[in-house]
Amino acid sequence: MSIPSEGTLRRAIAFFATLGVGVAAYIAIVEAGGDSPVCLAGGSGCKTVADSSYSHVAGINIAIFGVIGYLLLLASAFLNSDGARLGGFLVALGGFGYSIFLTYIEIFKIEAICQWCVASAVLMTILFALSAIRLVGYGGTDGAIPDRA
Amino acid sequence: MNGADRRSKLMQMAAGAVFLAIAVVVVLIIVNAADEEGGDTNIEGASEVSRELRGIPQQGMVLGDPAAPVELIEFGDLQCPVCAGYAEEILPPIIENQVRRGEVKIDFRNFTIVGPQSLDAGAAALAAGAQGRGWNFVELFYRNQGGENSGFADDDFLEAVAKSAGVKDSARWNRERAELGVKVEETSTEAEELGLQGTPTFALRGPQTDGIEVIGTPGSTGDLEEAIDEAS
Repeated sequence: MSIPSEGTLRRAIAFFATLGVGVAAYIAIVEAGGDSPVCLAGGSGCKTVADSSYSHVAGINIAIFGVIGYLLLLASAFLNSDGARLGGFLVALGGFGYSIFLTYIEIFKIEAICQWCVASAVLMTILFALSAIRLVGYGGTDGAIPDRA
Repeated sequence: MNGADRRSKLMQMAAGAVFLAIAVVVVLIIVNAADEEGGDTNIEGASEVSRELRGIPQQGMVLGDPAAPVELIEFGDLQCPVCAGYAEEILPPIIENQVRRGEVKIDFRNFTIVGPQSLDAGAAALAAGAQGRGWNFVELFYRNQGGENSGFADDDFLEAVAKSAGVKDSARWNRERAELGVKVEETSTEAEELGLQGTPTFALRGPQTDGIEVIGTPGSTGDLEEAIDEAS
């Protein structure tokens, strides 16, 4: 099976990273206003998760880190270099790993599921896969193969 | 450096990062799991309480689905030994069945009649409730309750219960419990206005009740279930 062109991968990364910025920014803005994200399907999971101590690291809402991570991934999609490929992969790897940890925390420690966190975890998983395919497929091609997009 | 060398180096760095990420996630999960099992050695019953309440929604001091048709209100005093007996003997089957199924939610409201430390304990429970651990706090408090007005419910005891109950942000819990005494007094006043004489006293609100109906202190789980059925 042939892998998609790097241009296609970059456009997909840009698309999902933009969605991620939206999700993380929503959580960050709502919580900055003293509220909790609204669970669209009802229930109190979002409030329970937002009220937990895991929602902050060193006093900073983790949604802020999410916004920064997604913006970095968005930036990596606009750059055509090995640095962008590796940088995007590392950011997505960090986000994906932290999403696994947070999902574990939601299920086993907080015992509540926040659909916004799940949405972010799914987006980060997709971005990790796309960034990994981009790095493996096109890493080391700086100046060697022109972007076919 | 040619393309092949550069690619080889990139793959090595990526592989190293993947191994590092896996190690960090595993360590984080192990550390957090160990933290849950540890808890305060002086507080007993943390794992039983955790098992009893696992997966049941908690919002403030309300245990159960917020949309449950029947609300069972318990007016209790954390220092009251009869309340502790109810928590250990009468209520667990209700929690395991009707509450877990989403048919009933239980609202714990402080009615402080035993002594001054009941107020501190009640506020501490409300502050735990603000972090989704109100019922874990109440259940653990009852399981480790000392003699009425013996002074057992001091700051050290409350902190140990909160920690074992899974209250994560202890600074926030400390800050909020100092402010929540007024809420404890509000529910105590509500209980007095309802004409309640002692704790625990239960009330029900459901499709078949006219607002909040006080049902007193049912003597068994069966009596309580019967009252719930009538209110449903």
